[in-house]
Amino acid sequence: MAVEAMAPAKPVVRYRDEFAWWDRIKKPIFYGVLIGWSVVAATPFFLTVVFSLKPLTHLYEPPFLLPIPFTLENYLKVVTEFRHLFPRWMLNSAFVAGLLAVVRTLFCAMGGYAFARLRFPGRDLLFWAMLVTMMIPGQVTLIPNFLIIRQMKLLDSLMALIVPGIAGAFGVFMMTQFYKNLPRELEEAAMIDGAGWFTIFFRIVLPISRPALLTLALFTFQGEWNAFMWPLIVLNSPEKFTLPLGLSWFKGEYYTVYSVVLAGSMFNSVPILLLFFLFQGYFTRGIALTGLREG
Amino acid sequence: MKRFLLLLAVLALAVTACVPAATPTPAVTREVVVTRVEVTKEVEKPKITVRLSGWAANPQETALLESLLYRCSLKNPDVVVKYEPITGDYWAKIKTLVASKEEPDIYYMDIFQFPFFVSKGVLVPLDDYMAKSGVKKEDFIKTLIDAFTGPDGKVYGIPKDFNTLALFYNKDLFAKAGIPEPNENWTWDDLKNAARKLSDPAKGIYGLGVPADPGRFPIFVFQNGGRIMTPDFKDTLLDSPEVIEAAKFYTSFRAEKIGAIPSDVGVDWQGTAFGQGKLAMVFEGGWLIPYLREQFPNLKWGATFPPKGPKGRGNLIFTVAYVISKNSKNPEAAWKTIECLTSEESQTVVLSTGFALPSRAKLTEHEYFKTHPESLVIFKGAEFGTPFMWGLRGDVVNEQMGKALERIYLEGQDVGASFKQAAEEVRKALKEQQ
Amino acid sequence: MPRIRRRQLGEWVAAYVLLSPYLFVFLVFNVFAIAYALYLSFTYFDLFSPPRWIGLGNYLYLLRDALFLQKAIPNTLKYVAVVVPVQTVISLLLAFALDQEIKFRRFFRTLFYVPSVTSSVVISLIFLWLFKKTGVINQILGLSIDWLNSPTFALPTIMIVNIWATTGTMMVIFLAGLQDIPVTYYEAAMIDGANRWQMLRHITIPLLRPVIFFVVTMGVIGCFQVFDQIYVMTAGGPLDSTTTIAYLIYKWAFQSTTPFMGRASAVAFVLAGMILIVTVIQRRLIERPAEV
Repeated sequence: MAVEAMAPAKPVVRYRDEFAWWDRIKKPIFYGVLIGWSVVAATPFFLTVVFSLKPLTHLYEPPFLLPIPFTLENYLKVVTEFRHLFPRWMLNSAFVAGLLAVVRTLFCAMGGYAFARLRFPGRDLLFWAMLVTMMIPGQVTLIPNFLIIRQMKLLDSLMALIVPGIAGAFGVFMMTQFYKNLPRELEEAAMIDGAGWFTIFFRIVLPISRPALLTLALFTFQGEWNAFMWPLIVLNSPEKFTLPLGLSWFKGEYYTVYSVVLAGSMFNSVPILLLFFLFQGYFTRGIALTGLREG
Repeated sequence: MKRFLLLLAVLALAVTACVPAATPTPAVTREVVVTRVEVTKEVEKPKITVRLSGWAANPQETALLESLLYRCSLKNPDVVVKYEPITGDYWAKIKTLVASKEEPDIYYMDIFQFPFFVSKGVLVPLDDYMAKSGVKKEDFIKTLIDAFTGPDGKVYGIPKDFNTLALFYNKDLFAKAGIPEPNENWTWDDLKNAARKLSDPAKGIYGLGVPADPGRFPIFVFQNGGRIMTPDFKDTLLDSPEVIEAAKFYTSFRAEKIGAIPSDVGVDWQGTAFGQGKLAMVFEGGWLIPYLREQFPNLKWGATFPPKGPKGRGNLIFTVAYVISKNSKNPEAAWKTIECLTSEESQTVVLSTGFALPSRAKLTEHEYFKTHPESLVIFKGAEFGTPFMWGLRGDVVNEQMGKALERIYLEGQDVGASFKQAAEEVRKALKEQQ
Repeated sequence: MPRIRRRQLGEWVAAYVLLSPYLFVFLVFNVFAIAYALYLSFTYFDLFSPPRWIGLGNYLYLLRDALFLQKAIPNTLKYVAVVVPVQTVISLLLAFALDQEIKFRRFFRTLFYVPSVTSSVVISLIFLWLFKKTGVINQILGLSIDWLNSPTFALPTIMIVNIWATTGTMMVIFLAGLQDIPVTYYEAAMIDGANRWQMLRHITIPLLRPVIFFVVTMGVIGCFQVFDQIYVMTAGGPLDSTTTIAYLIYKWAFQSTTPFMGRASAVAFVLAGMILIVTVIQRRLIERPAEV
């Protein structure tokens, strides 16, 4: 369907010259906008870093751009205060987030492909049912889901986080839309060659869905790394806590050392940013379709 | 070969099944010897595990609790306490757990939430346990233990600590304005006059902090001889003349520019503004003391009782108790733990750290108060205080009080009309109780 | 004839096998939970006593409740109407911009993604500080507004914070979507003499439709359910100006001294209904203008 829709327009060479002036000032405006938005986007994070490197008594005091006076005590506090537990929390979070990033991406890609390409009874109904499940706010499904996990005897274990998370509507929905987006030529060629659905999916489609898969993996990792409410409800023992639960421990009954809280939040954000920075290099354009040109 | 493997598998399974679910994790490391069993669950003296939950306390407070638990584990060696802090939305989690019958054996109960829990019968009455252990109601401060007594006269929670409000004042600002510092004989007029002399709006300094906070305003109502709710909590008195007069007095400070709400002085809590010297006087609880110590160590401040109103003294009591769940399988072990945690010994330890005030009456005499007179002020505040609790729809009462004050401050609504509106909303909510 | 049928059957089986992990989650955790919540919406349930059937009682209550009708619904609708278009357009523009061959592309993309990794705690602390009456924002703009304490400005402030926080995420999705469009299409078009605008209109946008539908749908769902920032920054105030439907659900379910889980469930389904209607409408507009 996509192939037919994109018949190129009639040649209109004229327009190119008329936009030449635009081409010249485009670049500086362009970079200006990008830098402007970068400042807006990064400033709060930057402030967090600066404040976390200052002692508590100087929190929110100027200067805002440089951590003066400088101290690493907040970070030290985060890592050492709950000595034997902090590494445990990091490990728990890494394990859950990492495992689900791989598993959920795979299972959602499978489901998304089925919705996008295959015809089967109940497809549209199931698709919309899936959308509807996302429309019900989580507060009212918290208790029933808790009861189910309890029934499965998974309370207070990391499995309570993993089992309900091996696939999800968000991921399936996203992969469905991506697969609808994908040009069909490769699959059609494979079908003509007599390949079955599983071969097509695992050998052909999956390898070329890299941007989508990486995006979903990143989101899944991030979501699970930062998840708070559900882990709070199903985990009891401090050794089982994930990182966000553990970091919340720095908020006290009587008072809170905010600079430590800010330092702690870095452990939430920085790993994700690193992952993002590394993997977005894979967002390279160009699914080569050489050999499949029309005509 | 197969048989051997099978036996090995069974053995392995049995061992993993018998490893206890938790070991307590005290900051003070001490090897808790856990008897690991081979195949059957036979042990000489079984250790009972008791789950204790509370809201998250920051690292120092946690260390304190864990040291108490350690001491208690020495006293009660057959009881293993598993501390399960709830580091986020405490009530959402506790209510979810109670609804699914998964709640811990012991947990924190706030006086504000207490009426609902006790009305639903999910707490264990403690009188029999108290009798058996020789713990008497009279050991504890009357207003506190009464607060956790149910409508049937039985005690359902042992208060662990409490807080009241004191009038904190900035000594430097008083000296600069040349007026004598507040004392326990102050009246509303003294408060007003001092606020006038201390305020300098041009410099961003105001005499008194007057937030739209239902956890502060009611003391003025009590000082005016009024109540927020009727004694049976079935109706509200927010539209009574005593309340409206108190509200007029309270909101007049900001109207005359001698008082400020937190956002006026660029903070979200008046404690910070007090520390920064922008508010000369604030009504706050004992939690302000460690805060000032840590964040504003150079501030010279003092504390005294809230001033007397036209009808006498009034204060709010914030308190938390340990309660035992009806679903607990080991109420005796749970009781032993509570008994130990609220013992005179334990409470003395807590007192000396300055984090919280003990609930045992005898400790009024303690050394600590001689060297920390401000804490004594907070402590004695309980004598003329009312528990911060408004019945089964307390959340609505709080909300409406806050909104009424907000409307007066932000929209200039008339005080009487605002509180009449609040009272109507509360009555509507009370009727909803099906 | 039998051949086609076997092929069709093969397709059905393949589909269900591929969907099986999701179906497991769907049936066990979604369907049961939602059915239970639906049942609860017809009951009075205070969490500690068994639910008591009251039929349409909760729904009728909603039809008369001022807080729900005069605050929660308008606030939520205002919020959705502003945030969804703005965040979609901005993130789409950013994605286009960063899809070009420009210097430091990687750094820009990472910087733009930074807001999305910021936790709610940090957002609340930093933005409360930025937007206070004597704060940086007022200093830059030369104003003296008490943003989060003003009934008129609190909701717009939350909107700004949210747009700031989510644009990066949507940008990433659009970027991934743009990658899927083969270079060869653009090459063919250029050979035929099309300029950038025409390529945009005739190749990029049409091929992006499924992704745009995804982003807008998730935006709608997310905005209708906005909760986190309100919970940490304004707690529904001042004077209910930031009380949204989702916040009301939480309030009635967990924050009341006497929980109203049944009523909260009823609100949840009303909310779901609203989201569904909006989604169906926008699907018509975006993904399949010719069919539904």
